[in-house]
Amino acid sequence: MTNWKGITSNDTEYERWKREVSELDEEIKSFIQFDPDLGRKLTDSGRTGREGMLEGIPFAVKDNIAVKSFKLTCGSEILKEFTSTYNATAVEKLIAEGAFVAGKTNLDEFGMGSSTENSAFFNTRNPWNLAVVPGGSSGGSAASVAAGMVPFALGSDTGGSVRQPASFCGVYGLKPTYGSVSRYGLVAYASSLEVIGILAREIDTLERVFETIKGEDVMDQSSLSPDSGESGKEKSGKENRKKTIGIPEELENVDIDSEIRKSMEESLVNFRKSGFDIRKIRIPTLEYVVSAYYVIATAEASANLARFDGIRYGYRDFSAENPEELMLLSREKGFGEEVKLRILLGTYVLRSGFQEQYYIRAQKIRTAIRNDFSRAFKDVDLIMMPVYPRLPFEFENSEMDPFSQKLADIFTCTANLTGLPALSFPISLSSGLPIGMQLMAPPFEERRILEAARLYGNIFPVPIPSRHLGSPIGKGE
Amino acid sequence: MFQSFIGLEIHIQLLTETKVFCGCKASFGDEPNTNICPVCMGYPGVLPALNEEAIRMAYVVAMALNCEPNEYAIFERKNYFYPDLPKNYQISQFRSPVGRNGYLDLEYRQQKKRVRIREVHLEEDAGKMIHAGDISLLDFNRAGTPLLEIVTMPDLEVGEEAEAFLQNFRRIVRYLGVCDGNMEEGSLRCDANVSVNLRGKGLGSKVEIKNLNSFKFVRKALNFEIERQTEILERGGSVTQETRLWNENRDLTESMRVKESESDYRYFPDPDLPPFRPDENFLKEVKERLVELPEERKKRLMEKYGLSKLQADFICEEKETADFFEETVNMGADPRVAAIWLASDVQKMLNKYQLSISDSPLKAKRFARLLELLSARKIHGKIAKQVLQSIFEENRSPDEIIEKNGWEQITDRSEIRKILKEVADKNPEIVKQIRSGETKPVQYLIGLIMKETAGRVEPGILQEVIREEFAFTLVRVISMGGAITGEVSEDGTILPGDPAKLISRIKEKTSFNGKIKIEEFSVNRILSEEINPEDWAVLISTIANHIQKGDTNGIVIAHGTDTLSYTASLIFWLFPSPGIPIVFTASYQPPATKEDIRGEAFENLSGAISKIATLGEGIYVYLDGKILSPLNLKFERIGTNGFTNWNLEKPVFSAKGMTSYLSTENFSRDTLLGKIREAQERSFIIKVYPGLKGDTLIRLMDAGIRHFILEVYDTGTANLRESPFSLRKAFNVGKERGINFYCTSQQRQNIDFSRYITSHELWKEGAIPMGALTTESVYTRLIASYILSQSEEEIVKIMEDTGAYTGF
Amino acid sequence: MEKREIYTTAYMARLSLNEDEADKLEKAISRMLEYFEKMKEIDVTNLEPTTHALLKNNKLRPDITAENTDTGAILDNAPELEDRFIVTPNVL
Repeated sequence: MTNWKGITSNDTEYERWKREVSELDEEIKSFIQFDPDLGRKLTDSGRTGREGMLEGIPFAVKDNIAVKSFKLTCGSEILKEFTSTYNATAVEKLIAEGAFVAGKTNLDEFGMGSSTENSAFFNTRNPWNLAVVPGGSSGGSAASVAAGMVPFALGSDTGGSVRQPASFCGVYGLKPTYGSVSRYGLVAYASSLEVIGILAREIDTLERVFETIKGEDVMDQSSLSPDSGESGKEKSGKENRKKTIGIPEELENVDIDSEIRKSMEESLVNFRKSGFDIRKIRIPTLEYVVSAYYVIATAEASANLARFDGIRYGYRDFSAENPEELMLLSREKGFGEEVKLRILLGTYVLRSGFQEQYYIRAQKIRTAIRNDFSRAFKDVDLIMMPVYPRLPFEFENSEMDPFSQKLADIFTCTANLTGLPALSFPISLSSGLPIGMQLMAPPFEERRILEAARLYGNIFPVPIPSRHLGSPIGKGE
Repeated sequence: MFQSFIGLEIHIQLLTETKVFCGCKASFGDEPNTNICPVCMGYPGVLPALNEEAIRMAYVVAMALNCEPNEYAIFERKNYFYPDLPKNYQISQFRSPVGRNGYLDLEYRQQKKRVRIREVHLEEDAGKMIHAGDISLLDFNRAGTPLLEIVTMPDLEVGEEAEAFLQNFRRIVRYLGVCDGNMEEGSLRCDANVSVNLRGKGLGSKVEIKNLNSFKFVRKALNFEIERQTEILERGGSVTQETRLWNENRDLTESMRVKESESDYRYFPDPDLPPFRPDENFLKEVKERLVELPEERKKRLMEKYGLSKLQADFICEEKETADFFEETVNMGADPRVAAIWLASDVQKMLNKYQLSISDSPLKAKRFARLLELLSARKIHGKIAKQVLQSIFEENRSPDEIIEKNGWEQITDRSEIRKILKEVADKNPEIVKQIRSGETKPVQYLIGLIMKETAGRVEPGILQEVIREEFAFTLVRVISMGGAITGEVSEDGTILPGDPAKLISRIKEKTSFNGKIKIEEFSVNRILSEEINPEDWAVLISTIANHIQKGDTNGIVIAHGTDTLSYTASLIFWLFPSPGIPIVFTASYQPPATKEDIRGEAFENLSGAISKIATLGEGIYVYLDGKILSPLNLKFERIGTNGFTNWNLEKPVFSAKGMTSYLSTENFSRDTLLGKIREAQERSFIIKVYPGLKGDTLIRLMDAGIRHFILEVYDTGTANLRESPFSLRKAFNVGKERGINFYCTSQQRQNIDFSRYITSHELWKEGAIPMGALTTESVYTRLIASYILSQSEEEIVKIMEDTGAYTGF
Repeated sequence: MEKREIYTTAYMARLSLNEDEADKLEKAISRMLEYFEKMKEIDVTNLEPTTHALLKNNKLRPDITAENTDTGAILDNAPELEDRFIVTPNVL
């Protein structure tokens, strides 16, 4: 990241970078709005004299995270023209350290999807192969980082939306502990599950960004720091002994692509070589996680997306003659199909008469899943699983229809149901496409994961796709 | 017989600085959409942040209503779409509200009841939608302001009772400082659910009533709804469970069509707000904010300071008044005097200058000093009022004002005695006359002294000093006619006579050891049954005059027997604490004509006169060597023991703290007469009897009767079964017209409205049980109430409050 | 799930659906609901529902007015305004 530091102090370099990003992004299409000048103005206006930790470094922001004066479309028609009047806390903190927003990146509408194909505007392509999806929902953020347009990007992870595209694009993707990063300014999809995450090509960058944006926030009363609540109990004392990685036995029962299985086995060999113990663990509830996840996520979404009604902001159908009609028509035209499906499903599972059998039951199962993981973490330091059971797939792939995509969230959504931190990191390339694995740790133990991933980075350095800007300064990383 | 059930859903706006989940100002009446931010506008990406003051106030109310706090207060999303609801869900509470299972005690029309509180929960308010032609205008200033909802169990029965509950509740939240309780402005809102069913069958179909935005509408809408449901059930129909709207223009409730799917709110816990756990420290803080509530404070003020319920009601209506009162009393003021002043003269000043007590120039210290000067007789009542006025006008202390105006009176007894001696020495002739037993020269002597001192001597003390100096008791005898001063005609009938005859005989025959001097005054030479409003007016003003002047040690009233129970109780109600003994006496037979026979009239009158020296202040009835109470006097049979007191555990002669005629403003005899006449024209006593028709009462209402004293059967029963003889219709018509019904019993016992279903029904229909008071005492209470009140509302309040003074 | 339920649910969520959409969504939702049936296998009798992922302390905000937000920018986002009021049609 050091190479990015000078970018704002040298006008020529800055203009060249802007031009190159714009050119490359005509192919990749990761940005919904690319406007570094606006981002710099925003950073400059909020600065005091102090030199920040991230001075002059550009970053991309998924377009469901609020940046003042930038668009906040959430990849949806209903917010196509909407401009944010405020900054998300995470953005505010990065700006305070001198970083600036380069632009807003494409996503599946309101974060609902795994391929960024659900964006109302356009598809984003995978820098490794333009015929392949970048993953989702933070596909734009992942693609922009993988293509070297920015050193890091913010994404949001509700069920794997940071980790899965990171894995598809071959970069690091961190989903921090629930509440460790303020959600203020993140347009809510499923409030109890999601958190702002970071995508980066270097683990050091990722760590520094995480250190910057984490912490309790008065604007988010669900935010936490390790000192509050139940966290931080098992911190000390284990520092010097051999680390153990747990592998759930239940992976056997899941349909995982053989390439991915093979890569996983290799990575385990590598970890063993690096001094880790590998141990089997039991997560018996694994087969229920997708059900529980989708019931809870859609239920919360049905309420979270109720505010988009065409009354106070956003798309309004002017043919309506009364407020009810106005809401009905604006929402009909403003939302895409997948969003409507999830709103309907979520409304249904909350209805009286159905709530007990779906929503309440899912929440109880969520408790069981949490119990499984806290039990497992009594024996191991980290848990490893694939990020996704499938390789990056092509656009409009019939095998990966919306239903199959949902089932494939099985490994990522466990971290959201439990609130645990999880990192996606590249472990290999298969037919020119990256494969990622996922490490999970107890609450607030992001560092434990990052250290393991850093170690692994020495064995398998992050690969660089052909469509890549290289280093903006002096063209040599 | 039907039973009605009312439950209330009350919303109050909490007086926080900011909204419940964001930092916007929670203020009203600002320009539209000025107190808004991304959070309360439901912007994408924002989150609620709970206001600590709002949650604290929520617990303060919950604890004040005796609720059990839940282990966790959990916020939930209540999902419904409406243009004024920014997120299209309301953050509210459902499964685990702030508090549950509370209660609030209520006393309405003498009946005590514990109204259970189902729950108290905190939520956010919506914005405002104004309809303007074919558009609606939205203002979100109110959106997100903290709202506390209080839900009662269906423990209330009639509109008036619900109204009283709501009034009580309003006082409580004002005392707690959490809400200003303004129904018109919507800071206190009320919805209700009403159901009617056959008695003993439990709740009926529940109907929700909305749009009750004044106390009056609460009463009217609920009574309308009970009546509507009762009629449906009487016709054999069934009530539809629905939501109805009160239409204030048409005075009725109207069905409000709501889609069924609209009522499925799909509540679920709001993931944005962690559950709130009220820990020990928090609850301790909350308890510290639980001030003494109005009902407890009333009770305490009555017990501790001997205030009447009416006075306590007045003083405790606003916390600041009660605080001011106690502050004054703690500085040494007589609580009852302070209470009377606060309710009358001070209130008048506050109204005149549009001030509240806490921001008026009348500080407790000044008020206490004013009352101190008055009780020390440094100033008299009239001057005290002028001083009060000057405090408001000039914002100065009473001492400064009195000094500036030279209003101080001579009150020092030794100084007055010195002046008296000087004047007496110069007038030996007058002294001689007084010593020989004449009383007229006393007035002359007073006149001389007043002239000498330019009127600065306190007249009451002067009177006392004169009586002490000359060592006599001065008794005023007022004759109201009747047999005691009458005579027997040749055909044996009793005729009114000249009281002077009997009095001069008493003066002749009884020396009273030379210590008692008698002054006589004849109101009228009539028989008891011929008494009319003028006679009462003269009697009342004469008594008031003597008490005011302090020119007598006591008053004896010679009265006829037939109406004695009326006049005696009337005088009691008007002069509950007269400062001197006032003794009524009568005789069944006129005085004997033979010089050597003293007879009953002679014995009673002379006995009453001699009692003056030994009795304390109060109203007494002296007959045949017995002293009876002026209340509940019943003339049962001629002969000895003809008079008895009904239903008195112990005799009542005086009552401290009651409003007295002396504290009213206007002593004019014409005003008095007007009030008595009005009371008599508006009142009617009816003994409930088989065959009495409700329509008869309605015709009386048409003729201008506004107060019915119903002498009901047994412990408060009367015919309410559907027939021409049912009184229900009369009650309903009466309710609409604001007619009042007071119940007394034909038996010698209390009216106990809790025992029989019919008694309870009477209460529901609006009757005020008068407890153990007899019809006569209730009737004179009504007349007294007219004399003592400025408004009909006040009259009813005094009537409802009567039982407390009778001492049973 | 019955077709009628789709429309009732859609109205609750203020989504108007045409026939085609309703058909398509009904199929997709039914498929999900079928999949959710799996949840019946697990015994949840002694489990409390998780409403919030991690346990938390009480979180409160002091009752102090925040600095004025830019209400102008908020009103600028409104589709229709009259003076400072946000407007909706309401043809009776």
